[in-house]
Order: sequence, then C-alpha cells, then structure tokens
Amino acid sequence: MTQQQDRTAALVLEQASVAYGHVPVLEELHGTVRSGEAVALIGPNGAGKSTLIKAVLGLVPTVRGRIEVLGVTPAQARRDVAYVPQADTLDPDFPVSVEQVVMMGRYRKIGWLRRPSAADRAHAAEALERVGLSDRAKNRFGTLSGGQRQRVLLARAIAAQPRLLLLDEPFNGVDAVSQHALLEAIALLKQQGAAVVVSTHDLAIAHLACDEVCLLNRHQFGFGPTDAVLTPERLRATYGGHALELRGDRVIVTQT
Amino acid sequence: MTWLDSTVHRAMIEAALVGVLGGVVGVFVIARRLPFFTMALTHGTFPGIVVAALLGVDLYLGGGVFGLLVVLAVVVFSRARGQDFTAATGIALSGGFALGVVLVSAQDGFSKDLTAYTVGDVLAVSTSDLVITAVVAVVVLVVMAALGKELLLVAFDRNGAAAAGLPTAVLDFALLAIIEVTVVATVPALGAILTVALLVGPAATARLITDRLVLLFPIAAAVGVVCALAGVWVSTQWNIAAGASIALFCGATFGAAFVASVVRGRLRPAAEAPVAVAVQEEARV
Ligand SMILES: Nc1ncnc2c1ncn2[C@@H]1O[C@H](COP(=O)(O)OP(=O)(O)OP(=O)(O)O)[C@@H](O)[C@H]1O
Ligand SMILES: [Mg+2]
Repeated sequence: MTQQQDRTAALVLEQASVAYGHVPVLEELHGTVRSGEAVALIGPNGAGKSTLIKAVLGLVPTVRGRIEVLGVTPAQARRDVAYVPQADTLDPDFPVSVEQVVMMGRYRKIGWLRRPSAADRAHAAEALERVGLSDRAKNRFGTLSGGQRQRVLLARAIAAQPRLLLLDEPFNGVDAVSQHALLEAIALLKQQGAAVVVSTHDLAIAHLACDEVCLLNRHQFGFGPTDAVLTPERLRATYGGHALELRGDRVIVTQT
Repeated sequence: MTWLDSTVHRAMIEAALVGVLGGVVGVFVIARRLPFFTMALTHGTFPGIVVAALLGVDLYLGGGVFGLLVVLAVVVFSRARGQDFTAATGIALSGGFALGVVLVSAQDGFSKDLTAYTVGDVLAVSTSDLVITAVVAVVVLVVMAALGKELLLVAFDRNGAAAAGLPTAVLDFALLAIIEVTVVATVPALGAILTVALLVGPAATARLITDRLVLLFPIAAAVGVVCALAGVWVSTQWNIAAGASIALFCGATFGAAFVASVVRGRLRPAAEAPVAVAVQEEARV
C-alpha cells in the first residue's frame, strides 16, 4: 500500500484562498505535497499557518480555488488525516490519562457506540511506544511536561494511522530530548508513506525534517524544495522587509 | 407496593436516584467547568414553570421543555463570533429568569407553588415522580455510556474533535441537555436553588480523591447517594428541610475531602482554580 502511494499527491492547493467569514486570511496558495514528503509552513505570527492547517481539516472554508486532500475534499478526507494541536492549548487539569489521550486517536476508526477493541489497545500502546512514553501510560496527561505532552499528542495522531499528518508548532518550548523523539516519530511516519505538514518558526527543523517549505504571510512567498526556498531574500520578503538575520538557523526579526 | 406507601421510603429511593444521577453527570460538569451553567439552568427553567402553572400542566414538564430552549440558545449564542459559553450562559440565565419574573408579576397567587419549586420537598415525592426520576436516570446513564468517548474528546480537545469530524455542536447540545434533564429531575427533591449542590459537590469531591476518569464516575455516584440518603435521614430525624440538609452534606463531604487532600499533600496548585469555583458555588446556595 505504501509503495503505491509514494508518488500520489496527498495535499493539493490550487489558487486556494481561505477566509474567516468575510475576512480573507490566505490568498492564492498553490502547491502539492506528496505521500512520504514533509512540508514546513514558515511565516511570522499571524501569517496564517494555523489557518491553513484548519482549512486542510475543513474547519475554515476555502472561498476561492481548491484544496484537495487525499483526492477528495478536506471534510471527506478527515478519516485519514490526523491533527496535532499545540499541547499548551489543552487543559492540564483535565482528568484524563496518557493512554486515554492516545486512544482518542482511535475513536474515528472505532466509530459511534463502540468500545475500543484489543486491536485498538495494541495500536495505542504501540503509538505510545514510538514516542518513548510507554512508562507514563497510566499518568494523568497534565502531570507530564510540555514536551512530553506534545509527544503524547503525536502518539495520538500515530494511533489514528493517518495518511496526512498536520502539526501546528509542535516544537515550541520543547527540549532537545522531546524534539528528537518527535522528529524520529515523524520520520518513521513519512517512511511509512504519510505526508506531513508542520508549521514552525525553526528553520533548522525545516532543514532537518522537511523536503519542502511553504513560506507564508497572507500570501505564498515560496513553495518548493527546502534549500531552494529558504533563501535570505525570500525570508526577508516573507517577514515583511523588516531587518532580518539568519543567525545560526533561526529567523531573527530585529525590528517589527 | 406497600413498601413504597411510606413517605420516607419514597424519599430515600428518590434521593438515591438523584444522588447517582447528580454524581455521574457532575463529573462532566466539573471537567468542563460548567457549575455556573448548571446554576444558570435552575434559574433559566423558571419561566417554563410559570407558564406550566398558568396552563395547568405539569410544572417539571414545563421547566424541562423551557430548559431545553435555554440550552439551545446557549449553544447557538456561544458559536457566535467573539462569544464563549460563559457569556451566552449569563445572557440566557438573566433573560430566562427575567421572563419568569415578568410572567409572575402579571399574575396573582403563585407563591405557594413557587416555594416548593425553589426549595423542594423530597418527602412529598409521589410514586409517579419516582417513576419519572428512574426513567430519566436510566436514559441519562445510557446516553452517557453510549456517547462517552465522544463527549470525552469534545470536553478535552474541541478542535481535535472537530478535526476528527465529530459534530461538536450536537455533542455540546447533548451534554447540556443531559445536565438540563438532570437538573429538572433533581428539582422536586432539592429545589431549584439547591440542585446545583448535588451536581457539583459529589463530583468535585471525587475529583479530590482521584485523577482517574474511570474511578471518578463510581466515586461521585457513591458520594452523591450517601449525601442524599444522609440528608433525608437527618431531615426525618430532626424535621429539617431535606433539600438543605442534602446540600449541606454535599458541602461537608467536599470540605472533609479537601482537608484530607491537604493533609495528604496531594493538593496541586494548578487544581485549585476549578475547585475554588465549586466552593463558591456552594457557598452561594
Ligand atoms: N477565528 C478567527 N476569526 C477571524 N480571524 C482569525 C481567526 N483566527 C485567526 N484569524 C486571523 O487570521 C490571521 C492568521 O492567523 P493564524 O492563527 O492562522 O496565524 P499563524 O500563522 O498561525 O500565527 P502564529 O505564529 O501566531 O500561530 C491572523 O491575522 C488572525 O487575526
Ligand atoms: Mg498558529
């Protein structure tokens, strides 16, 4: 199955414009992400990275052009798409265990009115294993560190066996150990044929984990192979012409 | 049916039923931080009671139907731009209650019915009241078991639930309707003002005892039953208002669990906020 999908387009943007109500947020996006590939969404705060991810999930409407996910509309593709939110958007006091959170990734496959089967449990346990947190299965989700919670949320996505994985800034405030665990798990998903879309502010991550980059700031400032797109000129254009340095591998906006 | 001919026996069954119901439903009330909504519902159902009295139909049927309208209004309002649940609840609460007051002020001779409604009288429940409460309890528990995992996902991660294609508005409505039906079923026993005690207290107490969701439900139900039965017993022994003594037991159990958790050093700073809300809710009733 994975071999055949290697060349197929998992996500196609065709002159797509996305709007909340009457306010257009993203205009004229154009590009393709294939199965087994990862694309980094890079742009300043308010650029529309989260909005694009929501549009791919079908939660924000595409007002012009087209977004095609796994050959169908975003809403139709949800069964095969997994979304990893930022861990700090979730209530740390919520009485739910790590293994219950991971099991949530199976809900869609389990369906209404059914309970998780032994197979579902096995998938969830394996997903947790992959992010290296099997020993924390019984702990309450909120008792884990931010980086560990982010890994649990990735495990939840892995348990869903997605063909397209969407991650919204998964590396914010994550230490080196968790970052490594996240990158490894993402790499394995890619290897198994999933397409990955990840928004990030970290250019090093884009270089390390992604084949392509989409530079965003309300419009598209570039979409293509990482090395070709991540040039100082394009980054300066994306970040609004403010003085911008590439120090190490990070974007530093010195004046906003 | 002779056993049920006794007022006290009927009161005990009614108390046990609403104890289980309040405890189990309360777990979601606490997890989704809905004590304020629950409080609002008891006021929001008021116009329905008044209209039912005017039309001469069952008061609780009137309250129940009107409460569903309030729930629908809250779900619709909260989806509007820039609004959240709390604001929508506040509007529905004050609007509903004001409508009730307007209706009452246009009429005379309401006061007697209304006292029973606001304070409740578990010793006055009839066998048919019991049957209704039992049916409500079974329906609510079955619905909660059936939708359990979806309700959990929406409560924990709304965006994630929407991303997975779950109908979040429908599930919100389902949960609020469950709370509403529970409130209406509990009102004859505790009264509109005190019902919130049974929907917040036992679950908040359970939350102090355990972090584990699977244990929260049985513990909250057990605490609810014990408080409700103890309240009825005390009320028959010393002839004090049953609803108030049930509410006091809920508060006292929570206080005891709170002290125990402090002593055991389990108190986490992050857990204080929702608990404090629950305490305030109880203090207010
Ligand atoms: N629910 C909403 N309704 C209306 N406008 C919104 C909504 N959410 C976001 N926006 C607007 O869309 C624009 C893009 O926001 P978005 O959250 O997608 O940016 P982002 O690139 O993810 O930024 P960040 O790096 O801060 O996460 C912002 O200007 C914001 O004002
Ligand atoms: Mg964002």
